[in-house]
Amino acid sequence: MRVMKRILFGSLAAAMLVAGSAQAQVKVGNAMAVTGPIPDLVAPMVAAVDLAAKHINEQGGVLGESYEVVRADSACDPSAAVDAVTKLINVDQVLGILGPVCSGATIAQAESVSIPAGVVTLSVSASSPAITSMESGTDLVFRAAASDAYQGVALADLTLASGIKEIAVSYANDDYNAAIAQVFAKVYEEKGGKVVAMEAHEPNKASYRSEVQTLSKGTNALALFAYYGSSGITIMRNALETGAFDTFIGADGMLAQEVIDQIGAENLGNATFTTSASDDTTDAYKAWQALAEAAGVPAADPFVPNSYDATFMMAMAIEKAGSADRSKIAAALREVANAPGEVILPGEWAKAKKLIGEGKDVNYVGGAGPQDFDANGDVQGSFSKNTVVGGKWSATLIK
Amino acid sequence: MLEFVNFYFIPGLVLGCIYALGAIGVTLTFGILRFANFAHGEVMMVGAFLTWTFMDFMTGAGLALHPLVAAIPAVVIAIGVSVFVDRYFYRPFRKSSPIIVVIASFGMMLVLRSLVQVIWGPNQITFVKGIAKPNGAIREATSDMGMMILVPDKHLLIMVGTIVIMLAFNYILTSTRMGKAMRAVSDNPDLARTSGINVESVIRNIWVIGGFCAVAAGVFLAMDTQFIESTMGFRILLPIFAAAILGGIGRPFGAVAGGLIIGLAEELVAYPWIGDAPLISPGYKSGIAFMIMVVMLIVRPSGLFRGKVF
Repeated sequence: MRVMKRILFGSLAAAMLVAGSAQAQVKVGNAMAVTGPIPDLVAPMVAAVDLAAKHINEQGGVLGESYEVVRADSACDPSAAVDAVTKLINVDQVLGILGPVCSGATIAQAESVSIPAGVVTLSVSASSPAITSMESGTDLVFRAAASDAYQGVALADLTLASGIKEIAVSYANDDYNAAIAQVFAKVYEEKGGKVVAMEAHEPNKASYRSEVQTLSKGTNALALFAYYGSSGITIMRNALETGAFDTFIGADGMLAQEVIDQIGAENLGNATFTTSASDDTTDAYKAWQALAEAAGVPAADPFVPNSYDATFMMAMAIEKAGSADRSKIAAALREVANAPGEVILPGEWAKAKKLIGEGKDVNYVGGAGPQDFDANGDVQGSFSKNTVVGGKWSATLIK
Repeated sequence: MLEFVNFYFIPGLVLGCIYALGAIGVTLTFGILRFANFAHGEVMMVGAFLTWTFMDFMTGAGLALHPLVAAIPAVVIAIGVSVFVDRYFYRPFRKSSPIIVVIASFGMMLVLRSLVQVIWGPNQITFVKGIAKPNGAIREATSDMGMMILVPDKHLLIMVGTIVIMLAFNYILTSTRMGKAMRAVSDNPDLARTSGINVESVIRNIWVIGGFCAVAAGVFLAMDTQFIESTMGFRILLPIFAAAILGGIGRPFGAVAGGLIIGLAEELVAYPWIGDAPLISPGYKSGIAFMIMVVMLIVRPSGLFRGKVF
């Protein structure tokens, strides 16, 4: 026993020496789109990340140290994300990256910074199908949100089920929106719908009247894939003003209260947006909901449980790796997130720490879903359909 | 034809007006101070935020102000900011090489934007709620003549406002002592100084006029998009530079023409000129401004118009 302890101690010390920095804290980088086109969506996600770190530190911290989340602004922009993550990895010497919210930002920082540096990225919300296949030979990019390969299908089914047989598609020219638009259009046509026009648009323009007019070909339904803040609201407004479209469907990027506040609930009777959602009947969700409500974090907002889960799983992975060693985190992340193992629910850090310390298998099940990573580092997810009810978005889970 | 006018030409003209107002300030600073002012877009943005703040404040006091009324105090403050920035951040570099002032203005751009984010936050703020329906009277009148022109009130205001500002600007530049002094300084600052012109006061006037046009452009932009956020100025700064270069940098009236051309070009390339499909996918329309700028710089770097600056 004594020998065991000594070996353990020795290897720990050695690992710390190898890591080169015997820090007082366990640091992870958190690049979030605090500014940029979707700040309203990101604010509660940031709160969820902080809440997870708070719970972990209240229950003993990671590796006996405090778990510190170093925040940076990725602005939902590839070049800003590269800058932010470069700083996190090289200056702050973080062990892993939680974050880049947007898909384009996540892909850019992974390709040019975190993969070359051998650092794990665990995105809280990047959902582009392109992320599934972006790595070759490495296993460093994970995400706690489901791929749009699934959401595009759910949205196409929903559109057809609501009786829309012909639709025009407009998408912002970026990794996230272009990818989900393609999945949607393909599945929609396969299942008998007709895409009458499909055009990319450039975000951040003052006016989209010509785009709207170009798309308007005999249907009043528009599938709009955009971030609300960079083009989504303007397109909807221009479409309504010119009378080109009055029915809108779309996904996560459009789901913000800002849309209702700016356009007015009276104009949004036929707007339906999907987002990744949680099955609120599970024990894990109930545990998360209780924690979130106690802290005043909106439990059901898009990607908020995912943000908490990602932060929690990253901490578990570091604990499991047993040392502040970047190279061990990817393997450890799979072990703590996937079955088999004793189920750990949101907030149960002391239990997780104890079991990991005893060398037992653990399996994190989060508020956003089971959070089991497949070979590509993707998770399954479920989706909700959101419509305007009484001046607010109201979600129903798609079964 | 109607479709062309309503959905391509009028929006292009509106966008062109906003670019033109922005380009005046950029080109004036270049003409007199010989540097490209990157902070110009942020002055537009600050103007729009201040306008919103006054509107919001007065709404709280039970009075719904029109943006153009609320813009008056905003203009005063934004001009104050411009003059202050020039006095303390650009003037120390007056005798240095222009690139240093360009970098200073770049820094000022980041400072102003961050300040706005600190004060008002990074979120979008609704400037005017709801959707703008086309002006009823014009629709009735034109539809009687067999062509239904759809133009919302906000666009009428933007176009009329731009014309008024242009006329006033033209008067100042060509018929007042201040305008003459500006033209003299632009031609040759040293000669102007030796002939008794107060160059520093001319520079202050440049910031006043440039700041005024910038706030007008910012408020018009906010009236058009109906929301404000902290990168709105930067987003349209590059097309504004393109407009200033197209018109021949340093020429205010060239900048106006350049702004209108860039604005119209961006919208009109998406028109289905040949067949049913848009000529160029609207996804690439902001590329058009830069294509024009690059071609212009290669073929005719002095801009569209020949002759003396101003």
